[in-house]
Amino acid sequence: MKHTFENNTLTVYLAGRIDSSNAADVEKEILDIGFAPDVKVIVDMQDLEYISSAGLRVILRLKKSNADTEIINACSDVYEIFDMTGFTELMSISKAYREISVEGCEIIGEGANGLVYRIDADTIIKVYKNPDSLDEIHNERELARKAFVMGIPTAIPYDVVKVGNLYGSVFELLNAEGFAKLLIEDPSRSDELAKESVEILKAIHSTHLKPGELPDKKKTAIRWAEHTKAYVDPAVGDKILEMMKAIPDTDTMLHGDYHIKNIMKQNGENLLIDMDTLAMGHPIFEFAGIFMAYVAFSSVDRDNVKGFLGIDYECAVQFWKSTLKYYFEGKDQAFIDDVEKKAAMICFTRLVRRTAEKVGLDKPGARAFFEYCKNYLETNIDTVDSLYFE
Amino acid sequence: MDITKEINGSKMTVKINGRLDTNSAPELESEVMENIEGIEELVFDLSQMPYTSSAGLRVFLKAQKQMNKQGSMSVIGACEDVLEVFEITGFSDIINIA
Repeated sequence: MKHTFENNTLTVYLAGRIDSSNAADVEKEILDIGFAPDVKVIVDMQDLEYISSAGLRVILRLKKSNADTEIINACSDVYEIFDMTGFTELMSISKAYREISVEGCEIIGEGANGLVYRIDADTIIKVYKNPDSLDEIHNERELARKAFVMGIPTAIPYDVVKVGNLYGSVFELLNAEGFAKLLIEDPSRSDELAKESVEILKAIHSTHLKPGELPDKKKTAIRWAEHTKAYVDPAVGDKILEMMKAIPDTDTMLHGDYHIKNIMKQNGENLLIDMDTLAMGHPIFEFAGIFMAYVAFSSVDRDNVKGFLGIDYECAVQFWKSTLKYYFEGKDQAFIDDVEKKAAMICFTRLVRRTAEKVGLDKPGARAFFEYCKNYLETNIDTVDSLYFE
Repeated sequence: MDITKEINGSKMTVKINGRLDTNSAPELESEVMENIEGIEELVFDLSQMPYTSSAGLRVFLKAQKQMNKQGSMSVIGACEDVLEVFEITGFSDIINIA
Protein backbone atom coordinates (compact mmCIF):
# COMPACT_ATOMS: atom_id res chain seq x y z
CA MET A 1 0.00 0.00 0.00
CA LYS A 2 1.33 3.40 -1.00
CA HIS A 3 1.68 5.97 1.78
CA THR A 4 3.48 9.23 2.58
CA PHE A 5 4.36 10.63 5.97
CA GLU A 6 5.30 14.29 6.34
CA ASN A 7 4.58 17.16 8.77
CA ASN A 8 2.96 14.76 11.19
CA THR A 9 0.45 13.86 8.48
CA LEU A 10 0.08 10.35 7.19
CA THR A 11 -1.56 9.88 3.79
CA VAL A 12 -2.57 6.35 2.82
CA TYR A 13 -3.77 5.45 -0.65
CA LEU A 14 -6.41 2.75 -0.88
CA ALA A 15 -7.06 0.97 -4.16
CA GLY A 16 -9.37 -1.60 -5.68
CA ARG A 17 -11.98 -3.17 -3.40
CA ILE A 18 -12.07 -3.51 0.37
CA ASP A 19 -14.41 -6.21 1.66
CA SER A 20 -14.44 -9.02 4.25
CA SER A 21 -11.82 -10.94 2.29
CA ASN A 22 -9.09 -8.31 2.64
CA ALA A 23 -10.22 -5.74 5.26
CA ALA A 24 -8.08 -7.30 8.02
CA ASP A 25 -5.00 -7.24 5.79
CA VAL A 26 -5.60 -3.62 4.82
CA GLU A 27 -5.94 -2.67 8.48
CA LYS A 28 -2.76 -4.49 9.45
CA GLU A 29 -0.87 -2.84 6.61
CA ILE A 30 -1.97 0.60 7.78
CA LEU A 31 -1.15 -0.07 11.44
CA ASP A 32 2.24 -1.54 10.51
CA ILE A 33 3.27 1.91 9.26
CA GLY A 34 3.33 2.91 12.93
CA PHE A 35 2.03 6.32 13.97
CA ALA A 36 1.03 8.13 17.16
CA PRO A 37 -2.60 9.09 18.01
CA ASP A 38 -1.93 12.77 17.36
CA VAL A 39 -1.00 12.14 13.72
CA LYS A 40 -3.40 13.50 11.12
CA VAL A 41 -4.49 10.68 8.83
CA ILE A 42 -5.67 11.33 5.29
CA VAL A 43 -7.18 8.39 3.45
CA ASP A 44 -6.97 9.01 -0.28
CA MET A 45 -9.59 6.89 -2.05
CA GLN A 46 -8.96 7.98 -5.62
CA ASP A 47 -8.39 4.41 -6.80
CA LEU A 48 -10.89 2.72 -4.51
CA GLU A 49 -13.90 1.23 -6.30
CA TYR A 50 -15.82 -0.36 -3.46
CA ILE A 51 -15.87 -0.58 0.33
CA SER A 52 -17.96 -3.07 2.33
CA SER A 53 -19.05 -2.90 5.96
CA ALA A 54 -15.84 -4.70 6.98
CA GLY A 55 -13.91 -1.88 5.30
CA LEU A 56 -16.07 0.75 7.01
CA ARG A 57 -15.20 -0.75 10.36
CA VAL A 58 -11.50 -0.33 9.56
CA ILE A 59 -12.12 3.35 8.84
CA LEU A 60 -14.14 3.69 12.04
CA ARG A 61 -11.33 2.23 14.18
CA LEU A 62 -8.86 4.53 12.45
CA LYS A 63 -11.06 7.52 13.27
CA LYS A 64 -11.25 6.32 16.90
CA SER A 65 -7.49 5.96 17.32
CA ASN A 66 -6.68 9.15 15.39
CA ALA A 67 -9.43 11.71 15.82
CA ASP A 68 -8.01 13.83 13.02
CA THR A 69 -8.76 11.37 10.22
CA GLU A 70 -10.29 12.44 6.94
CA ILE A 71 -11.18 10.88 3.61
CA ILE A 72 -10.51 12.54 0.29
CA ASN A 73 -11.12 11.77 -3.39
CA ALA A 74 -13.97 9.30 -2.84
CA CYS A 75 -15.59 8.36 -6.16
CA SER A 76 -19.38 8.76 -6.44
CA ASP A 77 -20.15 5.10 -5.62
CA VAL A 78 -17.92 5.04 -2.57
CA TYR A 79 -19.16 8.45 -1.44
CA GLU A 80 -22.72 7.21 -1.64
CA ILE A 81 -21.89 4.32 0.70
CA PHE A 82 -20.44 6.80 3.23
CA ASP A 83 -23.46 9.03 2.83
CA MET A 84 -26.01 6.24 3.33
CA THR A 85 -24.25 4.87 6.38
CA GLY A 86 -24.02 8.29 8.05
CA PHE A 87 -20.21 8.39 7.89
CA THR A 88 -20.38 11.78 6.16
CA GLU A 89 -21.73 13.27 9.37
CA LEU A 90 -19.12 11.54 11.48
CA MET A 91 -16.00 12.74 9.71
CA SER A 92 -14.74 14.90 6.88
CA ILE A 93 -15.25 13.04 3.59
CA SER A 94 -14.77 14.77 0.28
CA LYS A 95 -15.70 13.59 -3.18
CA ALA A 96 -13.27 13.25 -6.04
CA TYR A 97 -13.51 16.06 -8.53
CA ARG A 98 -15.21 15.20 -11.79
CA GLU A 99 -12.67 15.21 -14.61
CA ILE A 100 -13.52 16.94 -17.80
CA SER A 101 -11.67 17.82 -20.98
CA VAL A 102 -11.83 21.21 -22.67
CA GLU A 103 -10.27 19.92 -25.87
CA GLY A 104 -12.01 21.47 -28.85
CA CYS A 105 -14.14 23.74 -26.65
CA GLU A 106 -14.56 27.34 -27.75
CA ILE A 107 -12.61 29.88 -25.66
CA ILE A 108 -15.01 32.69 -24.84
CA GLY A 109 -12.98 34.79 -22.47
CA GLU A 110 -9.66 35.31 -20.77
CA GLY A 111 -9.21 36.76 -17.33
CA ALA A 112 -6.18 37.53 -15.22
CA ASN A 113 -6.27 34.13 -13.56
CA GLY A 114 -7.56 31.81 -16.25
CA LEU A 115 -9.38 30.96 -19.45
CA VAL A 116 -13.13 30.61 -19.90
CA TYR A 117 -14.47 27.90 -22.23
CA ARG A 118 -17.98 27.07 -23.36
CA ILE A 119 -18.50 23.35 -22.67
CA ASP A 120 -22.04 23.00 -23.96
CA ALA A 121 -25.09 25.10 -24.77
CA ASP A 122 -25.83 25.82 -21.11
CA THR A 123 -22.51 25.85 -19.31
CA ILE A 124 -19.09 27.47 -19.24
CA ILE A 125 -15.98 26.58 -17.33
CA LYS A 126 -13.37 28.89 -15.89
CA VAL A 127 -10.05 27.04 -15.83
CA TYR A 128 -7.54 28.53 -13.41
CA LYS A 129 -3.93 28.89 -14.59
CA ASN A 130 -2.52 28.28 -11.14
CA PRO A 131 -2.72 24.60 -10.08
CA ASP A 132 -2.79 25.71 -6.42
CA SER A 133 -5.92 27.83 -6.76
CA LEU A 134 -8.31 25.36 -5.16
CA ASP A 135 -8.92 27.46 -2.03
CA GLU A 136 -9.52 30.55 -4.12
CA ILE A 137 -12.00 28.64 -6.33
CA HIS A 138 -13.92 27.31 -3.35
CA ASN A 139 -14.04 30.74 -1.78
CA GLU A 140 -15.36 32.33 -4.98
CA ARG A 141 -17.94 29.60 -5.44
CA GLU A 142 -19.14 29.79 -1.85
CA LEU A 143 -19.72 33.53 -2.20
CA ALA A 144 -21.55 33.09 -5.51
CA ARG A 145 -23.71 30.40 -3.98
CA LYS A 146 -24.55 32.53 -0.98
CA ALA A 147 -25.55 35.44 -3.20
CA PHE A 148 -27.62 33.13 -5.37
CA VAL A 149 -29.72 31.60 -2.61
CA MET A 150 -30.25 35.04 -1.15
CA GLY A 151 -31.94 36.00 -4.38
CA ILE A 152 -29.23 38.17 -5.93
CA PRO A 153 -29.59 37.67 -9.68
CA THR A 154 -26.44 35.88 -10.79
CA ALA A 155 -25.35 32.78 -12.73
CA ILE A 156 -25.59 29.32 -11.13
CA PRO A 157 -22.24 28.16 -9.82
CA TYR A 158 -22.11 24.44 -10.60
CA ASP A 159 -19.30 22.16 -9.46
CA VAL A 160 -15.53 22.31 -9.25
CA VAL A 161 -13.84 19.94 -11.69
CA LYS A 162 -10.39 18.76 -12.70
CA VAL A 163 -9.03 19.66 -16.10
CA GLY A 164 -5.77 17.77 -16.53
CA ASN A 165 -3.63 18.98 -13.62
CA LEU A 166 -5.59 22.23 -13.28
CA TYR A 167 -8.89 23.02 -11.58
CA GLY A 168 -11.95 24.58 -13.11
CA SER A 169 -15.17 26.09 -11.89
CA VAL A 170 -18.33 25.37 -13.87
CA PHE A 171 -20.98 28.06 -14.24
CA GLU A 172 -24.22 28.47 -16.06
CA LEU A 173 -23.75 30.18 -19.42
CA LEU A 174 -25.43 33.55 -19.62
CA ASN A 175 -26.39 34.76 -23.07
CA ALA A 176 -26.02 38.26 -21.84
CA GLU A 177 -24.47 41.56 -22.80
CA GLY A 178 -22.62 43.75 -20.35
CA PHE A 179 -23.95 47.19 -19.46
CA ALA A 180 -20.56 48.54 -20.59
CA LYS A 181 -21.11 47.21 -24.11
CA LEU A 182 -24.69 48.52 -24.22
CA LEU A 183 -23.50 51.93 -23.11
CA ILE A 184 -20.70 52.05 -25.68
CA GLU A 185 -23.17 51.15 -28.43
CA ASP A 186 -25.68 53.75 -27.34
CA PRO A 187 -24.48 56.42 -24.86
CA SER A 188 -27.97 57.93 -24.76
CA ARG A 189 -29.05 54.95 -22.62
CA SER A 190 -26.87 56.17 -19.75
CA ASP A 191 -29.70 57.41 -17.58
CA GLU A 192 -31.88 54.33 -18.10
CA LEU A 193 -29.01 51.90 -17.40
CA ALA A 194 -27.90 53.85 -14.32
CA LYS A 195 -31.44 53.58 -12.98
CA GLU A 196 -31.46 49.81 -13.56
CA SER A 197 -28.03 49.39 -11.99
CA VAL A 198 -29.37 51.14 -8.89
CA GLU A 199 -32.30 48.71 -8.68
CA ILE A 200 -29.93 45.73 -8.39
CA LEU A 201 -27.69 47.65 -6.03
CA LYS A 202 -30.66 48.29 -3.76
CA ALA A 203 -31.56 44.59 -3.92
CA ILE A 204 -28.04 43.75 -2.74
CA HIS A 205 -28.12 46.38 -0.02
CA SER A 206 -31.47 45.17 1.28
CA THR A 207 -29.97 41.73 1.91
CA HIS A 208 -29.03 41.32 5.55
CA LEU A 209 -26.45 38.89 6.83
CA LYS A 210 -25.50 37.14 10.01
CA PRO A 211 -22.31 38.35 11.72
CA GLY A 212 -19.25 36.88 10.06
CA GLU A 213 -21.16 35.51 7.09
CA LEU A 214 -19.13 37.64 4.69
CA PRO A 215 -15.84 39.53 5.09
CA ASP A 216 -16.21 42.78 7.06
CA LYS A 217 -15.47 45.73 4.77
CA LYS A 218 -14.84 48.10 7.66
CA LYS A 219 -11.95 45.98 8.88
CA THR A 220 -10.35 46.25 5.45
CA ALA A 221 -11.00 49.99 5.32
CA ILE A 222 -9.41 50.54 8.74
CA ARG A 223 -6.34 48.79 7.39
CA TRP A 224 -6.25 51.19 4.42
CA ALA A 225 -6.44 54.13 6.81
CA GLU A 226 -3.69 52.73 9.06
CA HIS A 227 -1.36 52.32 6.10
CA THR A 228 -2.27 55.64 4.50
CA LYS A 229 -1.39 57.48 7.75
CA ALA A 230 2.29 56.99 6.93
CA TYR A 231 2.00 58.98 3.70
CA VAL A 232 -0.12 62.01 4.61
CA ASP A 233 -0.03 64.90 7.10
CA PRO A 234 -0.25 63.17 10.53
CA ALA A 235 -3.29 65.17 11.67
CA VAL A 236 -5.09 64.25 8.45
CA GLY A 237 -4.15 60.60 8.78
CA ASP A 238 -5.38 60.50 12.39
CA LYS A 239 -8.69 62.10 11.56
CA ILE A 240 -9.34 59.71 8.68
CA LEU A 241 -8.57 56.69 10.85
CA GLU A 242 -10.83 57.97 13.64
CA MET A 243 -13.68 58.60 11.20
CA MET A 244 -13.18 55.20 9.56
CA LYS A 245 -13.46 53.50 12.97
CA ALA A 246 -16.63 55.48 13.73
CA ILE A 247 -18.53 54.13 10.70
CA PRO A 248 -21.38 52.05 12.16
CA ASP A 249 -21.17 48.27 11.78
CA THR A 250 -24.09 47.11 9.66
CA ASP A 251 -25.22 43.71 8.40
CA THR A 252 -25.73 44.94 4.83
CA MET A 253 -24.49 42.90 1.86
CA LEU A 254 -22.08 44.77 -0.43
CA HIS A 255 -21.00 43.73 -3.91
CA GLY A 256 -17.54 45.27 -3.59
CA ASP A 257 -16.75 45.72 -7.29
CA TYR A 258 -19.89 47.26 -8.70
CA HIS A 259 -19.57 48.77 -12.17
CA ILE A 260 -20.98 48.45 -15.68
CA LYS A 261 -18.68 45.58 -16.67
CA ASN A 262 -20.09 43.39 -13.92
CA ILE A 263 -23.77 43.98 -14.73
CA MET A 264 -25.25 41.94 -17.58
CA LYS A 265 -28.53 42.03 -19.43
CA GLN A 266 -30.15 38.81 -20.63
CA ASN A 267 -33.62 38.86 -22.21
CA GLY A 268 -34.45 42.06 -20.36
CA GLU A 269 -33.36 40.62 -17.02
CA ASN A 270 -30.34 42.16 -15.28
CA LEU A 271 -27.76 39.86 -13.73
CA LEU A 272 -24.53 40.28 -11.83
CA ILE A 273 -21.21 38.55 -12.34
CA ASP A 274 -18.03 38.44 -10.28
CA MET A 275 -19.17 37.60 -6.82
CA ASP A 276 -15.71 37.10 -5.36
CA THR A 277 -15.63 40.56 -3.77
CA LEU A 278 -18.89 40.21 -1.77
CA ALA A 279 -18.59 41.68 1.69
CA MET A 280 -20.72 43.20 4.42
CA GLY A 281 -20.74 46.64 5.93
CA HIS A 282 -22.06 50.17 5.58
CA PRO A 283 -23.19 51.06 2.02
CA ILE A 284 -20.79 54.04 2.00
CA PHE A 285 -18.05 51.49 1.24
CA GLU A 286 -19.95 50.44 -1.88
CA PHE A 287 -20.10 54.04 -3.04
CA ALA A 288 -16.39 54.45 -2.38
CA GLY A 289 -15.81 51.46 -4.70
CA ILE A 290 -18.16 52.76 -7.39
CA PHE A 291 -16.55 56.21 -7.23
CA MET A 292 -13.18 54.56 -7.70
CA ALA A 293 -14.27 52.73 -10.86
CA TYR A 294 -16.06 55.62 -12.55
CA VAL A 295 -14.16 58.67 -11.36
CA ALA A 296 -11.10 58.30 -9.13
CA PHE A 297 -9.05 55.96 -11.34
CA SER A 298 -9.08 58.64 -14.02
CA SER A 299 -8.40 61.64 -11.78
CA VAL A 300 -5.05 62.27 -13.44
CA ASP A 301 -5.15 60.33 -16.68
CA ARG A 302 -8.64 60.78 -18.14
CA ASP A 303 -8.08 57.88 -20.57
CA ASN A 304 -7.88 55.27 -17.80
CA VAL A 305 -11.60 54.67 -17.71
CA LYS A 306 -11.64 54.14 -21.47
CA GLY A 307 -9.19 51.28 -21.09
CA PHE A 308 -10.99 49.86 -18.06
CA LEU A 309 -14.68 50.23 -18.88
CA GLY A 310 -14.58 51.29 -22.54
CA ILE A 311 -16.44 54.56 -22.01
CA ASP A 312 -15.29 58.20 -22.00
CA TYR A 313 -14.48 59.99 -18.75
CA GLU A 314 -17.43 62.39 -19.15
CA CYS A 315 -19.77 59.45 -19.69
CA ALA A 316 -18.37 57.64 -16.62
CA VAL A 317 -18.77 60.71 -14.41
CA GLN A 318 -22.31 61.15 -15.71
CA PHE A 319 -23.06 57.49 -14.83
CA TRP A 320 -21.72 58.03 -11.31
CA LYS A 321 -23.87 61.12 -10.82
CA SER A 322 -26.95 59.29 -12.10
CA THR A 323 -26.22 56.37 -9.79
CA LEU A 324 -26.25 58.74 -6.80
CA LYS A 325 -29.36 60.54 -8.06
CA TYR A 326 -31.41 57.35 -8.39
CA TYR A 327 -30.10 55.66 -5.26
CA PHE A 328 -30.91 58.71 -3.13
CA GLU A 329 -34.09 59.69 -4.91
CA GLY A 330 -36.04 62.11 -2.69
CA LYS A 331 -32.94 63.43 -0.91
CA ASP A 332 -31.76 66.97 -1.59
CA GLN A 333 -28.60 67.84 -3.50
CA ALA A 334 -26.71 68.80 -0.32
CA PHE A 335 -27.21 65.28 1.05
CA ILE A 336 -26.01 63.70 -2.21
CA ASP A 337 -22.96 65.98 -2.37
CA ASP A 338 -22.11 64.96 1.18
CA VAL A 339 -22.29 61.25 0.31
CA GLU A 340 -20.05 61.88 -2.68
CA LYS A 341 -17.45 63.66 -0.55
CA LYS A 342 -17.39 60.83 1.98
CA ALA A 343 -17.15 58.16 -0.69
CA ALA A 344 -14.27 60.08 -2.29
CA MET A 345 -12.47 60.39 1.05
CA ILE A 346 -12.62 56.63 1.66
CA CYS A 347 -11.68 55.92 -1.94
CA PHE A 348 -8.60 58.17 -1.96
CA THR A 349 -7.51 56.74 1.40
CA ARG A 350 -7.55 53.33 -0.24
CA LEU A 351 -5.77 54.64 -3.34
CA VAL A 352 -2.90 56.30 -1.44
CA ARG A 353 -2.10 52.98 0.15
CA ARG A 354 -2.71 51.01 -3.04
CA THR A 355 -0.51 53.24 -5.20
CA ALA A 356 2.35 53.45 -2.70
CA GLU A 357 2.39 49.83 -1.56
CA LYS A 358 0.74 47.64 -4.17
CA VAL A 359 1.39 49.43 -7.47
CA GLY A 360 4.72 51.03 -6.51
CA LEU A 361 5.65 54.68 -6.97
CA ASP A 362 8.30 53.84 -9.54
CA LYS A 363 5.63 52.67 -12.02
CA PRO A 364 4.87 55.11 -14.88
CA GLY A 365 2.33 57.70 -13.80
CA ALA A 366 2.12 56.34 -10.26
CA ARG A 367 3.88 59.25 -8.57
CA ALA A 368 1.57 61.88 -10.09
CA PHE A 369 -1.50 59.82 -9.21
CA PHE A 370 -0.26 59.28 -5.66
CA GLU A 371 0.33 63.03 -5.21
CA TYR A 372 -3.17 63.75 -6.49
CA CYS A 373 -4.80 61.30 -4.03
CA LYS A 374 -2.71 62.53 -1.09
CA ASN A 375 -3.43 66.15 -1.98
CA TYR A 376 -7.15 65.40 -2.22
CA LEU A 377 -7.19 64.03 1.33
CA GLU A 378 -5.20 66.91 2.78
CA THR A 379 -7.21 69.60 0.99
CA ASN A 380 -10.66 68.17 1.67
CA ILE A 381 -10.26 66.84 5.19
CA ASP A 382 -12.09 69.81 6.72
CA THR A 383 -15.16 69.32 4.54
CA VAL A 384 -16.26 66.14 6.35
CA ASP A 385 -16.86 65.25 9.98
CA SER A 386 -17.86 61.66 9.46
CA LEU A 387 -17.54 59.06 6.71
CA TYR A 388 -21.06 57.68 6.66
CA PHE A 389 -24.61 58.70 5.90
CA GLU A 390 -27.79 57.94 7.82
CA MET B 1 -42.29 24.80 -22.34
CA ASP B 2 -45.93 24.83 -21.32
CA ILE B 3 -47.55 25.13 -17.93
CA THR B 4 -50.56 23.31 -16.56
CA LYS B 5 -52.09 24.91 -13.53
CA GLU B 6 -54.67 23.42 -11.23
CA ILE B 7 -56.29 25.36 -8.41
CA ASN B 8 -58.23 23.43 -5.85
CA GLY B 9 -59.47 25.67 -3.05
CA SER B 10 -56.33 27.07 -1.43
CA LYS B 11 -54.02 24.56 -3.14
CA MET B 12 -52.32 25.29 -6.45
CA THR B 13 -50.39 22.71 -8.43
CA VAL B 14 -48.22 23.95 -11.26
CA LYS B 15 -46.84 21.41 -13.70
CA ILE B 16 -43.96 22.44 -15.93
CA ASN B 17 -43.58 20.64 -19.23
CA GLY B 18 -40.21 21.23 -20.88
CA ARG B 19 -37.07 23.25 -20.25
CA LEU B 20 -37.28 26.16 -17.85
CA ASP B 21 -34.87 28.80 -19.12
CA THR B 22 -34.58 32.56 -19.56
CA ASN B 23 -37.20 32.47 -22.31
CA SER B 24 -39.79 30.50 -20.40
CA ALA B 25 -39.14 31.63 -16.81
CA PRO B 26 -40.99 34.97 -17.12
CA GLU B 27 -44.12 33.12 -18.25
CA LEU B 28 -43.94 30.81 -15.23
CA GLU B 29 -43.37 33.75 -12.94
CA SER B 30 -46.41 35.69 -14.10
CA GLU B 31 -48.57 32.56 -14.14
CA VAL B 32 -47.65 31.78 -10.51
CA MET B 33 -47.52 35.27 -9.06
CA GLU B 34 -50.83 36.33 -10.61
CA ASN B 35 -52.63 33.44 -8.97
CA ILE B 36 -50.80 33.18 -5.67
CA GLU B 37 -53.18 35.30 -3.62
CA GLY B 38 -55.06 33.16 -1.11
CA ILE B 39 -52.98 30.05 -1.89
CA GLU B 40 -51.82 28.19 1.20
CA GLU B 41 -50.24 25.20 -0.48
CA LEU B 42 -48.18 25.59 -3.65
CA VAL B 43 -46.82 22.50 -5.41
CA PHE B 44 -44.52 22.49 -8.44
CA ASP B 45 -44.66 19.25 -10.38
CA LEU B 46 -41.29 18.98 -12.13
CA SER B 47 -41.65 15.43 -13.45
CA GLN B 48 -41.69 16.70 -17.04
CA MET B 49 -38.98 19.36 -16.63
CA PRO B 50 -35.53 18.16 -17.79
CA TYR B 51 -33.60 21.39 -17.11
CA THR B 52 -33.76 24.65 -15.20
CA SER B 53 -31.56 27.71 -15.62
CA SER B 54 -30.87 30.29 -12.94
CA ALA B 55 -33.83 32.30 -14.23
CA GLY B 56 -36.06 29.32 -13.38
CA LEU B 57 -34.50 28.90 -9.95
CA ARG B 58 -35.17 32.56 -9.22
CA VAL B 59 -38.87 32.01 -9.90
CA PHE B 60 -38.92 29.16 -7.35
CA LEU B 61 -37.05 31.36 -4.90
CA LYS B 62 -39.50 34.21 -5.35
CA ALA B 63 -42.47 31.89 -4.94
CA GLN B 64 -40.88 30.37 -1.83
CA LYS B 65 -40.40 33.82 -0.29
CA GLN B 66 -44.05 34.63 -0.91
CA MET B 67 -45.26 31.27 0.42
CA ASN B 68 -43.20 31.70 3.59
CA LYS B 69 -45.69 34.44 4.42
CA GLN B 70 -48.88 32.61 3.56
CA GLY B 71 -48.42 28.84 3.64
CA SER B 72 -46.11 26.17 2.29
CA MET B 73 -44.44 25.26 -0.98
CA SER B 74 -42.91 22.07 -2.30
CA VAL B 75 -41.49 20.66 -5.49
CA ILE B 76 -42.18 17.09 -6.56
CA GLY B 77 -40.93 14.72 -9.24
CA ALA B 78 -37.63 16.47 -9.97
CA CYS B 79 -35.33 14.38 -12.17
CA GLU B 80 -31.75 13.51 -11.22
CA ASP B 81 -30.19 16.43 -13.13
CA VAL B 82 -32.54 19.00 -11.67
CA LEU B 83 -32.10 17.56 -8.16
CA GLU B 84 -28.36 17.97 -8.59
CA VAL B 85 -28.82 21.63 -9.51
CA PHE B 86 -30.95 22.12 -6.38
CA GLU B 87 -28.23 20.41 -4.38
CA ILE B 88 -25.18 22.30 -5.62
CA THR B 89 -26.82 25.70 -5.59
CA GLY B 90 -27.93 25.24 -1.99
CA PHE B 91 -31.62 25.34 -2.97
CA SER B 92 -32.22 21.99 -1.32
CA ASP B 93 -31.64 23.71 2.03
CA ILE B 94 -34.30 26.31 1.30
CA ILE B 95 -36.94 24.53 -0.70
CA ASN B 96 -39.00 21.56 0.39
CA ILE B 97 -38.17 18.84 -2.13
CA ALA B 98 -40.45 15.83 -1.95
